[in-house]
Amino acid sequence: MNFMGTTRRNFLTVSASVGSSIVFNLALPSLAHSAGTNEKLAHEIASWIVIHNDNSVTVRIPQMELGQGISTALTQVIAEEINLELSLTDWEFYDPLTNYKRKNVYVHTYTGGSFGMKMLFSPMRIAGAQIKEMLMLAAARHWDTDTRGLVIKNHQVINTATDASVGFGELSAIASSIPIPDPSKVKTTTQNNWRYIGKPIPRSDAHDKSTGKAIYGIDLKLPGMKYAAVKQCPVFGGSLVSFNSTAIKSFQGVQKVVAIKAGPSGYTVPSFFYEVIDWQMDDAVAVVADSWWEAQQALDALPIVWDEGANKDVSSTQIEKKISNELMQQGEIIRQEGDVDSALLKSEKTIKSRYYYPFLEHAALEPMNCTALIDNGRVEAWAATQYGDEALRITAYAAGVAPYNAKFNLTLAGGGFGRRLHSDYVSQAVQIAKEMEGVPVKLIWSREESMQRSFYAPVMTTDFTGGLDADGNITAWKSHVCQGRSVYQPYAMSRMVYPVPNVKIEYSTVKTPPPYAWMRGVGHTQALWMYHGFVSELAELAGIDSLTFQLQLLDEKKVSKTAPEYSNLGVASSYEDSVSRVKKFRERLLHVVEKINEGSDLNNLGSFGYAVFDMSYAPGLGSSIIAIAIEIEMSSNHSALKIKNVMASVDCGLAVNPQLVESQIVGGIVFGLSNALYGEITLENGKVQQSNFHDYPILRLKDTPSIEVYIAPSEATLPNGIGEGAVPVVIAALVDAIHTAGGPRIRKLPILKNDISLFT
Amino acid sequence: MAKFVVNGKPVEVTADPNMPLLWVLREKLGLTGTKFGCGIAQCLACTVHIEGQPVPSCQIPVKDVEGVEITTIEGVGEETLHPVQEAWIEGNVPQCGYCQSGIIMAVIALLEHNSEPSDAEIDSAIGNICRCGTYPYVRKAIHAVAELKKTTAV
Repeated sequence: MNFMGTTRRNFLTVSASVGSSIVFNLALPSLAHSAGTNEKLAHEIASWIVIHNDNSVTVRIPQMELGQGISTALTQVIAEEINLELSLTDWEFYDPLTNYKRKNVYVHTYTGGSFGMKMLFSPMRIAGAQIKEMLMLAAARHWDTDTRGLVIKNHQVINTATDASVGFGELSAIASSIPIPDPSKVKTTTQNNWRYIGKPIPRSDAHDKSTGKAIYGIDLKLPGMKYAAVKQCPVFGGSLVSFNSTAIKSFQGVQKVVAIKAGPSGYTVPSFFYEVIDWQMDDAVAVVADSWWEAQQALDALPIVWDEGANKDVSSTQIEKKISNELMQQGEIIRQEGDVDSALLKSEKTIKSRYYYPFLEHAALEPMNCTALIDNGRVEAWAATQYGDEALRITAYAAGVAPYNAKFNLTLAGGGFGRRLHSDYVSQAVQIAKEMEGVPVKLIWSREESMQRSFYAPVMTTDFTGGLDADGNITAWKSHVCQGRSVYQPYAMSRMVYPVPNVKIEYSTVKTPPPYAWMRGVGHTQALWMYHGFVSELAELAGIDSLTFQLQLLDEKKVSKTAPEYSNLGVASSYEDSVSRVKKFRERLLHVVEKINEGSDLNNLGSFGYAVFDMSYAPGLGSSIIAIAIEIEMSSNHSALKIKNVMASVDCGLAVNPQLVESQIVGGIVFGLSNALYGEITLENGKVQQSNFHDYPILRLKDTPSIEVYIAPSEATLPNGIGEGAVPVVIAALVDAIHTAGGPRIRKLPILKNDISLFT
Repeated sequence: MAKFVVNGKPVEVTADPNMPLLWVLREKLGLTGTKFGCGIAQCLACTVHIEGQPVPSCQIPVKDVEGVEITTIEGVGEETLHPVQEAWIEGNVPQCGYCQSGIIMAVIALLEHNSEPSDAEIDSAIGNICRCGTYPYVRKAIHAVAELKKTTAV
């Protein structure tokens, strides 16, 4: 993908690629190519770029391009430091095997948590500065001089004293042999000279994605390739007893039926979340055929006997009951300030409420898929995954070879949203390839399989109790959250920003059968609208509108100096952290209030809802502050809803590419609205009941409101995350607006299951 | 053996007569710009033109396209980009991009019989799913093409 609107090198040979342990002389589409190209034509510099003999540069991107535009934005960052021309620059995915061999040289390869730019901005600037110095030193050596008076321009080093110039291509061999400079000694660029950082550089992939040329995992072509369709046990945790392949003998094109074993589909996550996640997939059966349609037809007709196991009777109703029972027990106290029980007794008014959110599935539009080939004790696989390092480990593990004998190639993703952090489909494809030695096999999941055997955002239920004094101030705040199978995520409730005097937050979990996934917005998606809704209930009890009440709460004078610090993911909260958040939240909220009023049609004014949040997990660990105002219209009997306008005000620190920031906020808003209106996965007899987009709807164009995004000017020198933050905030704002419009108090999502429909 | 015309070129394909056109295009003819998303005509990522009409190719058995003319995303803007594609690039419309081939095919068909669609007409013509939520950009780009057509026509 490049910035010129055409793919400069359409086909590359993978042979002789850097760090390659497997040699295929196959012509692969440009996006399937991995680190390095033909050695004769190109030199790799400091792992991060490749210089070609025509002076052009390919940048290595250690993140999955899911649509968030990280490939464009990170290219901007490194191009800034080296002073590259975008017309002579393209990018490719990093090679997980190279990263394995070079001990995480690419720093942060996990694409999740809105952390990509935040984690890679400084490392890639430093890498760029190192590369720039290497090129200068190479030119100095080339001319047998020193680096004084040398500048980089148009992919050449120019000696300003002599006017001599030498191209990157000519320098690349020398540059690649120069020791990488000490990262603490190189000088990065200064902000006032930036050409690319902070600019709305057009997406490098817009051309290929508008012409059908972009190659996703599902589009990969290899000579002699066969296709596989797969079916996992429909009940989570079930196992395979037998299948009768003679029943599909007459089916055209069928090559083989393969039993796939249950096992790990991922087992580590980096950095902040310290636990090891046991991501399991169950037994499955795959049919390999000459075409995918034939494989799927045969699979549908294949008699399979499953042992559905312990979860075969589980239903969503049962899970709700189980959670209900758990909420009657004492949970783990994750935050406690003051004495909530005596404060409640002394309160003038008290109120209790329960909020519920169902399981959700990501529904990335490109179904799960992976292509794999096993030959001569080596394995190579191709897929879109949000964690290539993990996919490499799973590839090696499933093939039963050492990572050095495995190769994993990243391809573009047709969406991810957290689903592609799991490598279950990679393990399956490799297990199939093992039975098809020497033949590349492309595994594609049907939509039904993708929806019914996914990893799910967990169910969550919260009980709230709150108290007010005679003046309508909150005196006590008690909540007990219980979620289904998940990782430990107390932050979702405990990072509530509102300063209230007596707080007790309890946390519980129950075991639920569906395996857990992070999903765009993570635990905040479940939690924010719940406690935001309860704040609105307290506002109503106090006789104040919810916006005024929110603004009154967002007052740093209300932050207690004596409140004990609470621990969250091992990081303590503090008075300073709370004050800073309260101030910034108020500023964003006031801004969005002002903006939506400016933008509304005064003759036809709807009802408004407001929310603000920062995706905080712990002090200093979160993402951008996003405030959202939403304008809706409801029918006179409050049974129908139209979402008219959404205004977002974003403080994302340094906006590396404002156009991409805007797109991510818009996308997050649409994603959040889909969740809020429609999102629900239910279980019956242990099976997921939804199967495709007819019963798991996604917001469409006709119901999408007009959306405006305002990016606040910032003095910050570092960027903050923007991928997820809009999701929880827009849900909270919409629920708020429905009540303000005279509609029902939404305590259970999705909204359209509350006797409300959409009108256009 | 099915015979039909794809992007102006006659093709002959050996395939099960019931195989959906989508899979014939993708696997037999190597035209992977047309995407598989649901298989039940819900997401419309597989939209192609059959005799100029936008149709979800996952629903059309190959036996039904005998002798007809089909256009896929690869067939628009082969020499120079189609104005819709230009507007898409100019407007930075795609995110993951997976749905965009289908959306672009639907938009081209819409603009061919309605060069200046209203918002309501856009709403009813473009039913495609975009999970990334590019809809506001899609709408804006459609209006931009219409506007461009108007100004260049004068």
